[in-house]
Amino acid sequence: MRLNRLTIYGFGKFHDRTFQLTAGLNVLLGPNEAGKSTLTQFISAIFFGFPTKKHPELRYEPLDGSRFGGEIAFTLAGTDYLLSRVDGPRGGKVTLRNTTLDLTLPAATLPRLMAPVDAQLFKNVYAMNEPQLGTVFAASKQELVDRLRHVGAVGSDFWLHQARQLDRAADEVYKPQGRKPALNQLLQEHAELTAKLEKANAGYASYWDLLQRQQQRRQQQTDLQRQLAVQRQIAGQYDRQLALWPVYQQWRKLAATPESTHRGFQQRDATALERLTNQAKATRASQQADQDQLAGLQEQQQLDPLFQDYLLVSAQVDPLIVQLPDITIAERERQRLQTDQADLQRRASEIEQQYATHGQMPRAFSLVTTQQVRQLTSNLSLATQKRRRLQQQLNQLNERYRQQQPTRQQRKNPLADKQIGWLAAGLIVLVGSMFLPATLFKLAGALLGVAVGYYGVFIVDSSTPASRQQQSLEDDIRDVQAQLRETSQVIEQVTRQLDDIGDAHGLGDISVDQWAAAQTAIVTWDRLTQRLEAGTAQLATATQTVTDFKAAIQRVLPRMTVTNMGDLTTQLKDLQVTQQRLQSQESDVAAIAARLKRDQLAVDRAQQAVTTFLQTRNVRSTDAFYRQYQQVREQGNRLSQRDALAQQMGDQQLAALQRVTDRATLVQQATTATSQVTKFQRQLDTVTEALATGAGQLVHLTASGTQATLRQQLANLETRMQALTQDWLVDRLVSQWIAATLAAASGDRLPQIVKTASQFYDKLTENRYTEIELTPTTLRVRRTDGAWRLVSQLSRGTAEQLDLAVKLAFAVVMAERVAMPVVIDDGFVNFDDQRRRAAYRLLATISADVQVILLTADPVVTDELTTENLIRLTD
Amino acid sequence: MKFIHAADLHLDSPFLGLQHLPSALLTQVRESTFHAATAVFDRAIAEQVDFVLLAGDLFDRAEQSVAAQAYLFQQFDRLNAAKIPVLISFGNHDYLADQHQTVAYPANVTVFGADVSTQTLTLASGETVAISGFSYPQRWVTSDQTPAFPDHAATDWHIGMLHGAVATGSDDHYAPFTVAELLAKRYDYWALGHIHQRQLLVEQPPMLYAGNTQGRAITEAGDRGAYLVTSVAGKLVPQFFSAAAILWAAPQLDLADVTTLTALSQQLVTWLAANPADRPTLTAMTVHLPQTLAHEDADQLASGDWLTLWQRTQQRAMRQANRYVIAVTVTVHGASVSAPQLDQQYWEQGAATTFTPANLQALFGKLAQSPALADWFTRAQTPSDLEAAAQQKLAQLMGEEDDHAS
Repeated sequence: MRLNRLTIYGFGKFHDRTFQLTAGLNVLLGPNEAGKSTLTQFISAIFFGFPTKKHPELRYEPLDGSRFGGEIAFTLAGTDYLLSRVDGPRGGKVTLRNTTLDLTLPAATLPRLMAPVDAQLFKNVYAMNEPQLGTVFAASKQELVDRLRHVGAVGSDFWLHQARQLDRAADEVYKPQGRKPALNQLLQEHAELTAKLEKANAGYASYWDLLQRQQQRRQQQTDLQRQLAVQRQIAGQYDRQLALWPVYQQWRKLAATPESTHRGFQQRDATALERLTNQAKATRASQQADQDQLAGLQEQQQLDPLFQDYLLVSAQVDPLIVQLPDITIAERERQRLQTDQADLQRRASEIEQQYATHGQMPRAFSLVTTQQVRQLTSNLSLATQKRRRLQQQLNQLNERYRQQQPTRQQRKNPLADKQIGWLAAGLIVLVGSMFLPATLFKLAGALLGVAVGYYGVFIVDSSTPASRQQQSLEDDIRDVQAQLRETSQVIEQVTRQLDDIGDAHGLGDISVDQWAAAQTAIVTWDRLTQRLEAGTAQLATATQTVTDFKAAIQRVLPRMTVTNMGDLTTQLKDLQVTQQRLQSQESDVAAIAARLKRDQLAVDRAQQAVTTFLQTRNVRSTDAFYRQYQQVREQGNRLSQRDALAQQMGDQQLAALQRVTDRATLVQQATTATSQVTKFQRQLDTVTEALATGAGQLVHLTASGTQATLRQQLANLETRMQALTQDWLVDRLVSQWIAATLAAASGDRLPQIVKTASQFYDKLTENRYTEIELTPTTLRVRRTDGAWRLVSQLSRGTAEQLDLAVKLAFAVVMAERVAMPVVIDDGFVNFDDQRRRAAYRLLATISADVQVILLTADPVVTDELTTENLIRLTD
Repeated sequence: MKFIHAADLHLDSPFLGLQHLPSALLTQVRESTFHAATAVFDRAIAEQVDFVLLAGDLFDRAEQSVAAQAYLFQQFDRLNAAKIPVLISFGNHDYLADQHQTVAYPANVTVFGADVSTQTLTLASGETVAISGFSYPQRWVTSDQTPAFPDHAATDWHIGMLHGAVATGSDDHYAPFTVAELLAKRYDYWALGHIHQRQLLVEQPPMLYAGNTQGRAITEAGDRGAYLVTSVAGKLVPQFFSAAAILWAAPQLDLADVTTLTALSQQLVTWLAANPADRPTLTAMTVHLPQTLAHEDADQLASGDWLTLWQRTQQRAMRQANRYVIAVTVTVHGASVSAPQLDQQYWEQGAATTFTPANLQALFGKLAQSPALADWFTRAQTPSDLEAAAQQKLAQLMGEEDDHAS
């Protein structure tokens, strides 16, 4: 943009004044108060509007009352415009004309036309004066960048404004270092809440601790309760034992009582005895009564004494009477036996008289002997018969022989006679020799006798003369005789045998013929004697029976005459008859008698029972029993008392007490146990209390809800924080987005500006400072020697030169987009002469690219600058 | 057989995304996770189920909630009294490691260990059930645990418990698995946990996420609860039942004739009256308007002052509708970013340099020191949210520029 002409209607000290400007460097020279600042302000006011009336010092209203305002003719992008502004609302009334096309444009076109330059940018960059240059002290990259963007794109001022708004809004939400912004506060709140929650979370550990402790304590409680119960029981035990101690002592005393060894002296025994004696007494009494009654009756009846006796013992007598028939039979039997015995005795005596020659009965044959005898007897008879036959034969033969030789018979006879004689002689000699003195004679005599006998029988006989006939006869006779002899010998032998037998059996005196009869008699005798013996035994039995009976009768009825059985029987029968008579005639007496009988029986039984009772208990009398019983009962009492005590104490207690040595120990134990109970109870109380406390704490922890509330609060807070953060981020992002977009639209000219500024600064400081560096927060410069200097370290003048360099560089670099003239109003007052000249030279240089309007009071400028357009304001 | 499959109780965890709540509602919110869990346990006792499966995230261990622990003890005791076994496989929030867990749960509770193990139950009916599962030993389980699960046991039923997510192939922190792997085990039921939105991965045999019992953010809108599973003809049939004490809703309203906040307020009240909820419902409204609100109205809305005022004045209407309006977001149809005085390309260039992760990070700066903010900032959608918000803001400014220019 190039300003061609300034026409002032009325502004500050100027009115109706026109300044023609050229494209390059325009120098407006004038002393103080010549209106240099007014002109600068005029350019700003026409382009960007009059300041509000709140700041009248900035309005430069004309002092002389002429029309406020003016016009500027300028060329922009090859088109000429005429802009006029006069006093009016909102910065003044604007009239804009496109003079090239002769078009009047709406006032709103102006900012767009001017864009991106606005009052701010103009003031900050293009309108330079001493105070403005001072702003370098606040300059930073951001400011520069903002200015860059400001001029970088169309409409960027709006966006920059928005971006700033967003940033401001964002700063209100959050500043990384801040405290006040909402998000910072929330963060703070979050930290506090988190701390609170953490504190509350500590409850979690406590909860588990409590829970665990609760579990342990419950276990402990159960244990203690069990222990306590046990201990209580023990203590109670001891207490009971203590309470029972006197009882125990008593029990111990009683314990000395020996156990009763006698049996059968119990209460029931005594009762039994009582019953028995009572029974006996009662029966005796009733018997007595009956007897009295009977006596009375008897007195009435005039009974004989025997019967009276009988009545008393009828029980014993009656069985005897019942036995009477048997006894009678026995008596008869006895008598019969006696008779039999006498008979048998007689017969035996007869036989004895007959056979017992020597006072001794021959013995009976045995069977063998009988057979032998029979054999021998038959042999004998045979032999005898034979001999008789032989004798007859012989006799015949002898007859015949005598017929033939009768002498012979004669001769023979003497022989035969002689034989006996010999024998007799021998016998006589034998017997006679016995009377001889001296044994030798006797023996010789006996031998002689035998020899004589032998001679007579055998030798004499053998010398018998015989003829032939005679001889045969004689032989026959001899033969027969021999046979006869033989037979006789047999007979003799047999006879001898028989004799032997007879001798052996005492039958010597009896002929063999009678033996059979004798044998029969002997057998009969034997039988008789046997029967006699048997009879004697029977008789003895019977007699005994009878005698016994008599004795029995005698015993029970002493009055009874018992000598004669018949009398006895009669008497007994009489008794029976009497009794029967009494029974039939007088039932009373009978009844009484019967009763008496029963009474007697009962008395006997009772007495017997008592006796048995006493005997089984090995005592003599009831008194003895009672003594014993009393003793036993006392023992029993003591025992039962002891038992009662034992029961009172109980088995266990008793056993426990028995283990106790003495009371002191027991007391000691009881005390210990009680104190133990107290201890356990205390522990239990402690645990229970702790449990209750723990439960309370648990309930508190569980129910407080602090954690949950805090957590929810935190969650809500975080939601808010997130929302705020999002807001903040969005604001910042949009701001960044705008900036980025503007940067993109404006292109990145910053490095170029910095580079150019460095060159300008180099020139301005006459090569003292060679480089400018823009840091995010500030500017710094490098000296020729390489040392860096911050703006704050620079002298005021050097700092202002830096600002000038940057601003000029900006103007130059941005000229292709914004050809805004640079208006410098006495900007170099703090420059030394050298540098001021350098500045002028620089301005001259840049005026090739940028229109420069230099307002100055310094006349040196004319030496330094060869300008086409020098306007002296004083003109 | 009958059992309950629940997961992600998140006891005593705070509701997210709320800024201000009346204290009465705050109490309800605080108790809601407990009420929801109690509803599940109540159902278990009422139905006399054979057992209860809790597939992880019963509570958030990091929160160290006393109330949650005390509550679990109390409820497990309750189930113990009812002779109902409870099987727990801890997840990424209630992972096993806890130095404080010195007191064991009641006897009816079985907590799976860090390695896959199998529990066999014999039910009152005489049926046998094998249940396999594991607990997270720490916050992450990056490897697929499926191979460790045994094949179908010689029991009448076999159920797998798994707290995890379907494998995505990269960055899987939560016991990644594939449906095919699980199916290959030939179990009768897969009780899954971790995903808060209930979903059926496989119809039969059922493989499903029970979802959480109580929604805790606007992203968890809709009814929440657990599953009652019963055996029907040799198959297990899951049936959802509601447990949530408080619901979340995000209705969208198209209000063509609203141009001012006053009108909007009236429309919202009308809508509330027409749409009462059966349970306390935290409602975040999104309102579509035909054109942007006036500058002041927009500012009021953006600052939240208007909503706060509205909440205060419309308490009755909200109470009657059983809804609490927690947010009102206004969107405008067809709003576009275009600046007449600056080329679109400059804006795009600007956006390209501004919305870079590095710049965002740099701008975020010290705020990253706040874990809550850092958490929010590192969320995947945050940059795009920011950009969208920025664009909206810019659009608003452009509107102003238009006004300014014309």
